[in-house]
Amino acid sequence: MKTLLTALLIAASAPALAGDHAYGPFPANYVSECGSCHVAFPPQLLTAPDWQAMMNALDKHYGVDAGLEAKPRAAIADFLQKNASRRDKHASTVQAPRLTQTVWFRKEHGNLPAKATKTLPAAAQCESCHTAAERGDYNESGLKLPAGFRHKER
Amino acid sequence: MKTLITALLVLAAGSAHALNAAEYQSGLAAAAKSAEPGFAGFSAQRGENFYRSTHGGDWSCATCHTDNPAASGTHTVTKKTVKPLAPAANPARFTDVDKIDKWFKRNCNDVLKRACTPREQGDFIAYLLTVK
Repeated sequence: MKTLLTALLIAASAPALAGDHAYGPFPANYVSECGSCHVAFPPQLLTAPDWQAMMNALDKHYGVDAGLEAKPRAAIADFLQKNASRRDKHASTVQAPRLTQTVWFRKEHGNLPAKATKTLPAAAQCESCHTAAERGDYNESGLKLPAGFRHKER
Repeated sequence: MKTLITALLVLAAGSAHALNAAEYQSGLAAAAKSAEPGFAGFSAQRGENFYRSTHGGDWSCATCHTDNPAASGTHTVTKKTVKPLAPAANPARFTDVDKIDKWFKRNCNDVLKRACTPREQGDFIAYLLTVK
């Protein structure tokens, strides 16, 4: 019984532990503003300077205008700064920051392409494999890998 | 009873600020009139042409919102589902002025590379209101 109780306590506290792929839930304004065109990405997967660069160029956001009024923009920028990663492996390796182009992401995501193919989703389409990504939950229990996915890039 | 009255008051206060597409469009009519002295009302036909045109670029409204604004679409870059645009199919559309302004600004820049005029916006809504 004691073992069961301990196991339950560990399970219950798990979402608070780092490295278990539970990044959310995210604030409602973040989900509504940053989750309407794509899944609301975990702020923990890019560094503070990356998020700042992105928030400073919302009018030219990867080919579309994602501009925001000053007030909601400031609130979201603040949330991103407070929750950004401090690790080099989460720093974008390309100039317009992409969380799919970090050392960590590439190591974890094998042969996922930048643009969707017939067999694979684009790297940024988190929700197509991480079925609970909308809630910031990237636990492996909710993982549904496409047939064409390989852990090694080539 | 007091709770019920409070609930009704809250509902009434909420509905006083509720917006719909036709109301938003009537605001556009005043702006269109002052921008174009010859303005003679919005046209659903012009709005439909506008909706389907790529305006010299790569995208039209229909690229993401599909040929039928009452249907769900797909964001052409991210592949995320876009809920129906026509108020008849999605009553939440055109009910929040901040949202309307935000998306007109963004999507007009994406499709036309400029802001839309009040007449274009009013025509566009006139067309959407004919879609059942």
